[in-house]
Amino acid sequence: MIVGEQKPIAEIKESIAPYDKILILGCGTCVKTCFAGGEDEVATLASALRLAFKKDGRKIELEEMTIERQCEDEFIQEAAAAVARNDAVLSLGCGAGVQDIAKRFEKIPVLPGLNTTFIGILEKQGLFTEECLGCGDCQLAIFGGICPITRCSKKLLNGPCGGSMDGKCEVNPDIDCAWQQIIDKLKALGQLDNLRKYIPPKNWRASHAGGPRKLVREDHVI
Amino acid sequence: MMKLKPRITIFHCINSFSETLLSHSDVTDNADIKYIKLPCSGMIKDVYLLRAFEAGADAVIVFTCSKGECRFVEGNIRAKKRVERTRSLLDEIELDGRRLSLFNINQKDKEDAVKIIKETLLKLKDIGPNPAA
Repeated sequence: MIVGEQKPIAEIKESIAPYDKILILGCGTCVKTCFAGGEDEVATLASALRLAFKKDGRKIELEEMTIERQCEDEFIQEAAAAVARNDAVLSLGCGAGVQDIAKRFEKIPVLPGLNTTFIGILEKQGLFTEECLGCGDCQLAIFGGICPITRCSKKLLNGPCGGSMDGKCEVNPDIDCAWQQIIDKLKALGQLDNLRKYIPPKNWRASHAGGPRKLVREDHVI
Repeated sequence: MMKLKPRITIFHCINSFSETLLSHSDVTDNADIKYIKLPCSGMIKDVYLLRAFEAGADAVIVFTCSKGECRFVEGNIRAKKRVERTRSLLDEIELDGRRLSLFNINQKDKEDAVKIIKETLLKLKDIGPNPAA
């Protein structure tokens, strides 16, 4: 999922200050799961902002709405009437959601309420960890399903570096050594021979380094 | 200037507190108290607490069962976490997080309940009324 976290209220307050009527638009998929932009977070943020503005002696109208996904036109259309009723949209979607909303409603300012942080998983309740950089050339089969590009601090493809201790990274002891995990996993899978393979330098052209990416599925294009 | 009767909203687990604990106390003469019953304090949400302030509360108190006594096991732990988060939100919007507090209490602790309200009233004299009321 895309993981994000809410911006500080002071920053949000400043960004919406020029407007009188604002739609706080949540997204019911990834950012809802990471407690950043679902219905509950929309309601909490709206309440906090109402209090903050009222304390300053300013009245502001905040409409609350959450759609299933802010990155699909089909769901975005559900918000069209609410968007039209307001001066601006404060999106609690990820960066893709904010941009898709902005694209669909050209004349309404769309402001981000979250900082989009990474592609990750729910490791345990309340803990989200980064697992994928979206490099565009997945090699997880060789590494036992553990991505050294994302999870090794040095992004080593032919690790380990030799600096880890007790399974922890020398860069930061809070980080588990990805290569220790890769070796443990390959051992469990009986695939330790994978470590003998030389992995050539990564071709980063498939990643964002090659500019904005596009995926066209001709079989779905009509 | 403090209003004559500060408004206090009490969210409470029905197993830890009931309004009768305060019914014969003079604290009810000095404060306008609103009670919100919950089947478990774990039902509390950040937004409920904030909306109590929107509705004009000068202080909000959450009463939960004591540690280890929640019949839903972790309701009081969840309530504590949410209160802490909401308190930091109140600080962030400069409403003063001290307006919100959580106490473990027992149905038999009448004296404790009265003491908590009295202390809250004293605290409000220092903090002042809810500036967003």
